[in-house]
Amino acid sequence: MGMYDASRGKGSYAYGCYAAYIVALIVFISVGLFYMFTGRGSEFDFGWVLENISSYTWACMGVGIAISFSVLGAAWGMFITGASIVGAGVKAPRIKTKNLVSVIFCEAVAIYGIIIAIILVQNIDDTTPEDWITNYNTYIFNGYALFFAGLLTGMCNLACGICVGIVGSGAALADAQNGELFVRILVIEIFGSAIGLFGVIIAVLLGNNRKISSS
Amino acid sequence: MTDLAPAYSPFFGCMGAASAIVFASFGAAYGTAKSGIGIASMAVMKPDLIMKSIIPVVMAGILAIYGLVVAALIAQGLDEAPTYDLYDGFCDFAAGLSVGFCGVAAGFAIGVVGDAGVRGTAQQPKLFVGMVLILIFGEVLGLYGLIIALILNTAH
Repeated sequence: MGMYDASRGKGSYAYGCYAAYIVALIVFISVGLFYMFTGRGSEFDFGWVLENISSYTWACMGVGIAISFSVLGAAWGMFITGASIVGAGVKAPRIKTKNLVSVIFCEAVAIYGIIIAIILVQNIDDTTPEDWITNYNTYIFNGYALFFAGLLTGMCNLACGICVGIVGSGAALADAQNGELFVRILVIEIFGSAIGLFGVIIAVLLGNNRKISSS
Repeated sequence: MTDLAPAYSPFFGCMGAASAIVFASFGAAYGTAKSGIGIASMAVMKPDLIMKSIIPVVMAGILAIYGLVVAALIAQGLDEAPTYDLYDGFCDFAAGLSVGFCGVAAGFAIGVVGDAGVRGTAQQPKLFVGMVLILIFGEVLGLYGLIIALILNTAH
């Protein structure tokens, strides 16, 4: 019997996930049926949930997701490429300084996240109850816009960071074998980096000047 | 605030814009990374073929541009509730989903074909044309998503 017996306990995590999904589905359907059969079907209202979650919740969650998922993508890319740089550098220590460029590309992804988070957070401020009556639709819309601007930044940067990390890993390994290859494989990393930039562009389009404030 | 233009109508439009760029980025990232691994592997044996092998990476990047275009169009058309009704919201949501998921699918296709294609082309140069043809068919899948997204977005 080896130290890692692949067939033992392999399915338990998957079964746990399926069980959780099925339990959640059953709870959701039975709550809906309960409302329907007691004559309160119109109260099972997704739109009521969307409107009554405070706009501040939406906006602040957007800011949080923007920075946290961007940094997650940057860190993920960094450890993928860093492990390869250090591993390949055992036999070719000359690669260590040049391949830091790949790590810096991953850091740029985190910088995109912090820029968007700062832009989004400037829009959140105090409001008075009178302003909520006159600007209700505007504040609701701005809450959604800030949430999705942050969410799309976080997710695009997550994808971009992992992509740049994987390509950087390949670049380090190729560089260790032949020193001329690094610059040409860096071109691929630049294409990968553009993905995070597209996310920043759309986040600025969506989330710029969407103020939830009285001033 | 009416039943046809409730206050939460822009939620679906914003979600469409986000879906467009996020899922297209996932597809583009997968295509870039998977092809990039293939290029880095074959570059050790055939360094002069690197520039020709960037083609899968460029095509994966184009998928992200499809998502960018649709997300920008949706974001420019967003507004608050009575002006932007539920019809607009769901049209934009559908547009975002169509370009997004088509981008994921096309990105997976371009990535896997690019990886195998560049490794094969390094060993047999006559395979290059075949690889490009297969990549074009994969790219066209993302284009179909873009077409439907534009039809939906201009429907309101």
